[in-house]
Amino acid sequence: MSENHLNVQRNLWENPWGYVESFFIGFGLIVTGFFLEVFVTTSNTFTLSYPYNVVFLAGYVSILFVLYKWFSTTQLIRWLTKVPASISSISLVTMMVMIMGIIPQVTSQNNIINNLGLNHITSNWAFLLIIFQFLTCLGLISIKRILQFKWSNFGFILNHTGLFLALIAGILGTGDLQRLSINVYEGKPSWIATDANRNEVELPFAFFLKDFLIDEYNPKLALVDNNTGSISHNNGKNLYLVEKGETYYFNNFEVKIEDFLPNAIRFGMRYEVVNEIGSPPAAKISVKNIETDTIQTGWISSGSFRYPYESFKISEDYSVVMTIPEVKKFSSDIDILTKDGERISAILEVNKPFSYKGWKIYQLSYDDKMGKWSNLSVLELVKDPWLPLIYIGIFMMIAGAFYMFWMGNKTTKNQLK
Amino acid sequence: MTWMDFPLYSSIIVILWIIGLLFLLISYTKEFVSKVAYTLFVAGWAVMIVFVIKLWLELGRPPMRTLGETRLWYATFLPLIGFVTYIRWKYKWFLAYSIGMAGMFLAINYMNPETYSKTLMPALQSPWFIPHVLVYLFSYAVLAASSIVAIKGLYDNFKENFNIETLKLADNLVYIGFAFLTLGLLFGALWAKEAWGHYWTWDPKEVWAFLTWMGYLIYIHYRHFHMHNTKQALTILALAFVVLLVCWFGVNYLPVANTSVHTYTQY
Ligand code: HEM
Repeated sequence: MSENHLNVQRNLWENPWGYVESFFIGFGLIVTGFFLEVFVTTSNTFTLSYPYNVVFLAGYVSILFVLYKWFSTTQLIRWLTKVPASISSISLVTMMVMIMGIIPQVTSQNNIINNLGLNHITSNWAFLLIIFQFLTCLGLISIKRILQFKWSNFGFILNHTGLFLALIAGILGTGDLQRLSINVYEGKPSWIATDANRNEVELPFAFFLKDFLIDEYNPKLALVDNNTGSISHNNGKNLYLVEKGETYYFNNFEVKIEDFLPNAIRFGMRYEVVNEIGSPPAAKISVKNIETDTIQTGWISSGSFRYPYESFKISEDYSVVMTIPEVKKFSSDIDILTKDGERISAILEVNKPFSYKGWKIYQLSYDDKMGKWSNLSVLELVKDPWLPLIYIGIFMMIAGAFYMFWMGNKTTKNQLK
Repeated sequence: MTWMDFPLYSSIIVILWIIGLLFLLISYTKEFVSKVAYTLFVAGWAVMIVFVIKLWLELGRPPMRTLGETRLWYATFLPLIGFVTYIRWKYKWFLAYSIGMAGMFLAINYMNPETYSKTLMPALQSPWFIPHVLVYLFSYAVLAASSIVAIKGLYDNFKENFNIETLKLADNLVYIGFAFLTLGLLFGALWAKEAWGHYWTWDPKEVWAFLTWMGYLIYIHYRHFHMHNTKQALTILALAFVVLLVCWFGVNYLPVANTSVHTYTQY
């Protein structure tokens, strides 16, 4: 590339603009943005929704095209397509994001943070302005390389245009993004969802929860210190799964699991298997003190919302407890009922959303107090009409990354020779 | 349960690999033994595949439910990516790194038998989990290597015997590492969409991963257009690595940490 490293003396704002001017302009944008934050107090954030965002995108891309095609000799456009403008905007975007990475994005005690909007960077004017310059650089150079297409530009276009598409679609798409959650109870249809601001939204279809299922891992066994109440082996990590017949060693205790009942309640001296809501797992253990060679036997249970837990005291200092089982998998067996009487069955599971009429339906949560007896399933519905564009951008960048991995920085190497 | 056979299989694999690594080391001076090293790596890898297939058949589901099972996949795919990278770029240390990491994951599984059954929360049970973590492991390794090269460069610069080849090596490593980093970010985004309904939420870990990405982006562009300002380039590279370290270890100590979905105790 044609860099003039002879260090010709050059005045500020003289042709072509370099790093000083670039950072000057960049800081100018950021300061302007902070002024807007402080003095223009609009409560609603800058979002465009359909059709305005589509118009904006079309207009923006056309303007970039026109600027590149007919005004590429002007100072401004030449600057925007050169590296100093890009590096300054990349650096300043990095700076703004770094603020987001340090200051928690919630209402703050500190007035400076609140007034400058440092706790809502993604909708902060300073951030939006500098992102705008960033995108403009990216858009212009994309157009430039697409218009002068050569195969050697292929990787360049995948990376730069892909990023441009993913970012612009992501930003403009927020206005059209709908995200609703709905509580669905076993055995009755539900069609009233709530949005992020807790407003009720009536869906054009209803959910009927046939069954909500939770698969659990076995509970785990832990040794707790009676004085502090905290787990006192393996640094609290790597607890042992309770399985019938297993033997585990804690300090100088040998703990054998004589019996394990996934659902049980206490009857007098022992636990017995029952099939009842809220019946917790229980295990019979025998604990041998290796030093004194004494054996004790007893029951432990993790308890549930309905029954108390039970630990087993094995010495002055220690007790054995059973943890509440962790969830392995939860899923909802649902029917979607439409207004014309159609019935579509689906099983929703975490990481396995179901697509229906432009909505993606996710398994979100359930009544965690009730655990596996929950008859409530919380679903989330997301409609993101800009997703295809974002995915095109993402997949272009994935291809660009493979290209980059394969090519390395060959160009630089060759040019140095 | 096939996990019973794990100590046997893993010892065979690890022994083959260790001998292979020794041969790889010797091959720095005597090139002809490198073939022996490759053969041993491939043999170890074949044993690994046999074990994974047996386990899969026996469980009747993809073994991806527990931490022990995920580590098994890391150990399977690390040598594969290592080999592809080696075939393309001929960095022997990198092949050694990937084999070493794979061996380490086997050793962790071997030493923590109880973690065979250590549980994995539902959101992590996704086909994206393994590629996401793997490409990050690679990208961090390569980028860390590029920073070591940068430090050597700065030192040479200070001693005034700087060689441009040093920077060319750093460049190549940054390109490779950056490609993996991009994949890590994007796989993460695609996964988040499947699991939580949104591809990007500015979670603190995401923020810092993005910053790391931007740091290396500055380096790439600066290097490409100012080939002769080597000192500035080296400084940018060193700074980018600081951001990477914050992302890797530091996020948990920042004031924003308690809002992250990425603070699982350990992978
Ligand atoms: C996915 C991320 C990116 C990658 C992998 C990337 C990579 C590259 C590479 C390798 C070059 C030199 C290649 C060549 O000349 O053919 C380049 C040039 C350039 N990049 Fe990027 N870049 C990325 C993002 C960006 C961003 C975000 C901006 C601006 C905001 C930018 C602005 C530029 C500019 C202005 C050039 C010079 C273009 C020219 O002279 O025609 N890049 N980029």
